[in-house]
Amino acid sequence: MIEFGILEGVIALLGVVIGIIFGALPGMTATMAIAIFLPLTYAYDLTTSVYLLLGLYVGGISGGLVPAILMNIPGTPSSVTTGFDGHPMAMKGEGVRALRIGITASLFGGILSLVVLALFTPVLARLAIKFSAVEKFLIILFAMTVIAALSKGKMTKGIFTGFLGVFISLMGVFPDNQTLRLVPSMFSMELRDGFQLLPVLIGLFAFSQLFQEAEKGMRQTMMHTDILKGHQSKKFSFKDFKGQFINMFRSASIGTFMGILPGIGGSAASLLAYSQCKTFSKNPEKLGTGAVEGLVASESANNGLTGGALVPLLSLGIPGDSTTAVLIGAFILQGIQVGPLFITQNPVIWNTILFALLIANIFMFIVMFYPIKYIAKIINIPKNKLYPGIILLCIVGAFSTRSGNMVDVFTLVIFGLVGYIFSKLDLPVTTFLIGFILGRDLEKYFIDSLKGSGGNLSVFFSRPIGLAVWVLIFASLAYAFYDNRKHHKEASL
Amino acid sequence: MSDLFKIKIVYSQSHTIGPKIIFGILVIFSLILLIQAIMKAKKENRPLLDFKHKHFFIENYDRVKLFGTGILLILYIMTMNLLGFIPAGILFISLFNILYKGSREVKSILISIGIAISETMLVWFIFGYMFGITLP
Repeated sequence: MIEFGILEGVIALLGVVIGIIFGALPGMTATMAIAIFLPLTYAYDLTTSVYLLLGLYVGGISGGLVPAILMNIPGTPSSVTTGFDGHPMAMKGEGVRALRIGITASLFGGILSLVVLALFTPVLARLAIKFSAVEKFLIILFAMTVIAALSKGKMTKGIFTGFLGVFISLMGVFPDNQTLRLVPSMFSMELRDGFQLLPVLIGLFAFSQLFQEAEKGMRQTMMHTDILKGHQSKKFSFKDFKGQFINMFRSASIGTFMGILPGIGGSAASLLAYSQCKTFSKNPEKLGTGAVEGLVASESANNGLTGGALVPLLSLGIPGDSTTAVLIGAFILQGIQVGPLFITQNPVIWNTILFALLIANIFMFIVMFYPIKYIAKIINIPKNKLYPGIILLCIVGAFSTRSGNMVDVFTLVIFGLVGYIFSKLDLPVTTFLIGFILGRDLEKYFIDSLKGSGGNLSVFFSRPIGLAVWVLIFASLAYAFYDNRKHHKEASL
Repeated sequence: MSDLFKIKIVYSQSHTIGPKIIFGILVIFSLILLIQAIMKAKKENRPLLDFKHKHFFIENYDRVKLFGTGILLILYIMTMNLLGFIPAGILFISLFNILYKGSREVKSILISIGIAISETMLVWFIFGYMFGITLP
C-alpha cells in the first residue's frame, strides 16, 4: 500500500522544481535545498514529507546538468563529466538537444536505480535484523570508516572532523545515568539535549555557503552568450538514443552501484561511467567533442546514484554522502529510525518512498524536458536577490526547531561559521555531519555491548557477523588509504 | 594482560566513557595532522606557520558584504523577538538586499524593500498562517 493524493503530488512537484533551481545554480546543491526546506516538513506527516524531500533530492541532482551543458560549470559535483560533451554540443547550436538528451538519460538512470533500491534494500535489511548491539556498533564504526573514504585526498582531516562531530554530538544529558556532560554550567538548561540537528544542518550547508558567497561579493556566474536563443542546428529526437541502450544501462548500473557503496560520491560515479563509455566506444576519439554517448553515460550514472545511495541508508541507517546524511536527519526529525527494522516496521512508508522516487523522476522529466529553454534561465537568477530570502527561511527553520528556542537560532550562526572556517582550513564538512548524526548511536551501542559482556572488549571479535563487519571495515580503510594516496599522487603531478 | 581488554563500567561515571575515548582519538589525530603539516612544510622548504603567503580570506574579498552579513545577522537575531517576525523580517531582509545589491539609487532601494516585504509576507503566510509553525 502507498499513500498518495493531490497534496502529495503537488508537494512532490514543488520539491522537484525547487530542487532543480538549487541544482542549476552553481554553488547551491541538493543538500542545501533539503536542509533549508526541512522545517516545512514539520507541518506534514512523514509520508507527505517524503514526497517533498525526494522531490528536492531528484530535482537537485538533475538540475546540475543545466549549467554543465550551457556554461561548462557543473551545478553539482555529480555532473562533472556532463559538460565534457554537453557543452561542445551547446556551442555547436545543439543546446536544447543536449539538455533533452541529458534529461532523458537522467530519467533512465533514476528508474533503474529505483528498481535496484526496491530489490536490494529488503535483502540487506533482513540480514541486518539479526544484529545485536555489538554488530550495530561495528556497523556504525564501518560508517565512520566511510568518512575516511569520503575525504578524497584528506583522509586524516576527514577522520578528525568525523570524530569531532561525534564529540559535539555527545554534549548534553547521557541517557543511562541522566548526567549532563560537556556543557558549560551557564548553558545547562539550553543545551540539556545538546545541539539540535536541524540548525546544525542548515548552518553547515546553507549559512557557511552564505558567508563564502558574501566574501566573494555575491558575484554572478552569468551565461555570457544566450546559446539557447536563435536557430538550433540539430533538434532532439528519441532516435538520438539508437544504439545507446547498453551504454545507458551500463552507466546507470555503475552509478547505482557506486551509490550503494557509501562515500564514493557522485563525481567518481560519473567519471567511472564516462571512462567506461570511452573504453567501449567505437569512436573514442569523438568523446569530449560533443558526442551523445558521453553525455548519456554521465547523466544516466549521476541519476543512478539517487536510488543507490538510499540502499545503505534505508537498510543499515548509514548515510553515504552529504545529501543522504541530511535525509537521515529528516527521518530522525520525523521520529523515524532508519535501519534494519525500517521496512518491516514501516511498510507503508517504505512503499511510499519507492513510489515518491518514481513520481519525482517522472516530474523531473516533465518539468525539465518540455520547458527546458525557460528552465535554463534559472542560472541567471541573481544570487544577491536569492540569499536574503534564504536567510529568512533558515532563521524560520532554526527558530521553529523547538518552537522558539533562541539557542537554536544561535546554533545556526555558530555552525554556519564552523562550516565557513572548515572550508578555509580545507576540513571536510560532510564527515563532521556524519559523525554528529551517528555519534550518539555509536556511544550507545558501545556501552550496551560492554554492559552485556562485563566490560570485556573481546566481545567485538566474538560473533561471526561481527567478524564479517570487521572485514568490511578493513576493506573500507584499505580503499581509503589507496584512494588517499592516489589523490596525493595526482595532486603532486 | 586481560585487564587491558576490559573497561570497568561504573554506573555513576558511565557518562564519561564515550567522551574520554573520543577526546583521546581527537588528540591522536591532532598530533598526526600536526606532524603531517610539519613534514609538508619541510618538504616545501617553508615555515610551518606561513602567514606571508597564506591568507585566511580570498584575494580582494568583499569586506563590506562579508562583515556586513555577520553584523546584520547578529542584529536581526537579537531584535527579532523584540520587533516581531514581520517588522524585523521586512527591515533586515531589506538591509540584506541593499547590502548585496550594493547600489545606493533610490529605485534600487525601493525594489529591495518591495522584495523584502513580499518575501517576509509569503514566508509568514506559508509557515505561520497556513502551517501554524511558531515564528518570532
